[in-house]
Amino acid sequence: MKKALLLISIALLMVSVMFGAESVKIGVAFPMTGGIAAFGQMTLNGVKVAQSLYPTVLGKKIELIVADNRSDKTEAANVVSRLIDYNHVVAIIGEIASSHSLAGGSIAEKKHVPMLSPASTNPLVTQGKHYVFRACFIDPFQGHVAAVFAHNYLKAKTAVVFTDVVQDYSVGLANFFIKDFTAMGGKVYREFYQSGDQDFSAQLTDALGKHPDVIYVPGYYPEIALMARQARQLGYTGPFLAGDGAEAPELVKIGGDAVNGVYYTSHFNADAPFTKIGKEFVAKYKEMYKESPSALAALGFDAYLLLRNAIQRANSTNPEKIAEALRNTKHFEGATGYITIDKYGNTIKSAVVNVVKNGKFTYVTTINP
Amino acid sequence: MGTKRISFKTNFILTTVFVIGVGFLLLAASHSVGDYWVRIITLMAIYSIMAISYTLVNGVTGIFSLGHAGFIAVGAYTAALLTLPIQQKTMSFFIAPLIWPLNSIQMGFFPATIIAGLVAAFAAFLVGYPSLRVTGDYFAIATLAFAEIIRIVIQNSYSITNGSLGLKGIPPYTNIWWAWGWLLVTIIVIGSLKFSSYGRALRAMSEDTVAAGAMGINVFKHQLMSFVVSGFFAGIGGALYAHWLTTIDPRPTSLGIMLTFFVLIMIVIGGLGSISGAVLGAIFFAFAAQWLRIVESPMNFFGITIPGIPGMSMLIFATVFILIMLFWRRGIMGKDELSWQYIYDHFAKKAGDQD
Repeated sequence: MKKALLLISIALLMVSVMFGAESVKIGVAFPMTGGIAAFGQMTLNGVKVAQSLYPTVLGKKIELIVADNRSDKTEAANVVSRLIDYNHVVAIIGEIASSHSLAGGSIAEKKHVPMLSPASTNPLVTQGKHYVFRACFIDPFQGHVAAVFAHNYLKAKTAVVFTDVVQDYSVGLANFFIKDFTAMGGKVYREFYQSGDQDFSAQLTDALGKHPDVIYVPGYYPEIALMARQARQLGYTGPFLAGDGAEAPELVKIGGDAVNGVYYTSHFNADAPFTKIGKEFVAKYKEMYKESPSALAALGFDAYLLLRNAIQRANSTNPEKIAEALRNTKHFEGATGYITIDKYGNTIKSAVVNVVKNGKFTYVTTINP
Repeated sequence: MGTKRISFKTNFILTTVFVIGVGFLLLAASHSVGDYWVRIITLMAIYSIMAISYTLVNGVTGIFSLGHAGFIAVGAYTAALLTLPIQQKTMSFFIAPLIWPLNSIQMGFFPATIIAGLVAAFAAFLVGYPSLRVTGDYFAIATLAFAEIIRIVIQNSYSITNGSLGLKGIPPYTNIWWAWGWLLVTIIVIGSLKFSSYGRALRAMSEDTVAAGAMGINVFKHQLMSFVVSGFFAGIGGALYAHWLTTIDPRPTSLGIMLTFFVLIMIVIGGLGSISGAVLGAIFFAFAAQWLRIVESPMNFFGITIPGIPGMSMLIFATVFILIMLFWRRGIMGKDELSWQYIYDHFAKKAGDQD
């Protein structure tokens, strides 16, 4: 039986090799090695789930060509050039980090090949570009969602905002939160730290002196976890609010009980997918990888489907027409919600707010644009 | 042993023919190999400029600096801020607006590159003046620290450099001609420096600083000069790099210590102190990093598909480096230059062996 299966699969492979010309080539430019390889792997898992659910478009097989950018900016530009010029892909899914998307995006723009980033949230990525899109919402929106949530749901009047000065992501979110929160009549105090810092007691003592209703930390999980621990030791019992950088199992591992009550804005919650396709995605992902999908996986899944949908609507594999169709994406049902792409290439869709409850990421609410 | 000296005239003619030949090769390449490889060929020249300027300090002068990426970053930011369209500047600087007069300047690529070189040379002077008071490992650490300071200043000056958000939309001016043209200038300038009386002083210092000092060479002055010239061309390299990539940011992985290490690998592979070695090392580095991608893509052997494993190319890359360091300890060129004399001697020796 096993032998027969093997033979059939080899035969299929031969066939697929023979009819290789019939496939639609889509490039995937992700960091598969280096500093942020974990992000690349997570997102690629989501893309692969989408491919196994929907392997064809316009009656042709979709072939994914994965190119590793080695978490390096120079290579991020080189792989996009390679995918377009050497592999002749019709569209590209990538890249993950915003700084990489900026480098790769300028090449895609020059070559008129659509590039769809699953997770680059920096507004500069799509700014002034016609062939660069994204499947995620942008930093201003996430900052806005956090401000709305703090004001309406947490009923906060005073907020202390911690900014990680070396992360463009953190700087962006903090700025947009402050703008919107003060516009709603809130009061904001600012504190600063850097990725890699271990001790936040000085900033926290100063912050707690302001009696905040909420502490907003749009950074990454290691510092958020440590900060939560130290704040609880200093007697802070109020809520924390963070961005999607908080979402990692390590948050609970490092933070323990202290991170209970950390709210964060995110793209997706695997326990409460609110679209039909989202449920389908979670089921298939669990079947393939024996674990719950992360938000990045869901975004990778959506990026693949958005592209496939655009090719279908364009009824062509011409990159120019695919880009045109992508720009006209309206109310598309993805795993992370209903997606509309505006004329700037940015995505308009709802964000979810999750909270850490008893060490689990629990869904709280959805905030619409 | 053939010990015949090749005359200056022959040398000059051969070199001119060689340069023109390379020019024609580049012209042919820019029309035939496709945009992707043209990009890589351009990158080869940019890396070569960085490597030559680095080898002037680390190889020729023999002082171990780890601050090269700092000067590249200064050059990249200076040039980028000078050539960025004003409209792009207003769009990118959305956290803090760009200060005057940078917000109203936009100039051509050539003057911007020169200014970038000068500013980087000035930065090299500021870093070199205090750090050259110490030697050896301490100097390496001091320069490393200064490069980090430069990077962190860039990261935090939101109203000048856009901080950690970086710059984007830099006009893609760097093409194959700018890059290789500047490489030619770099080779001529640093080549003539190496074989001038200054260069001989530098090489004497690299053998033994105390002896060189005892012979009447002003060690500090010569080292500082070499450091500043190196900084100038690092700045040029940075300017070309910024306009090649079109976006820069102060992350440790883009214009930080990683870049210094990359350039260090190039010059060690090529042979410390050799200009032609630096060029060969840089070309090898840029080429291998791309060419080895083949091993990462799925391969077909008679219908059996071997899935691509990301990271395989780096594994092979590292193995090649280790092998080179084991069996070719002085790098490809050692301290020699790939001159006509070198080639002649080489072949004469071979012919002599056969007799």
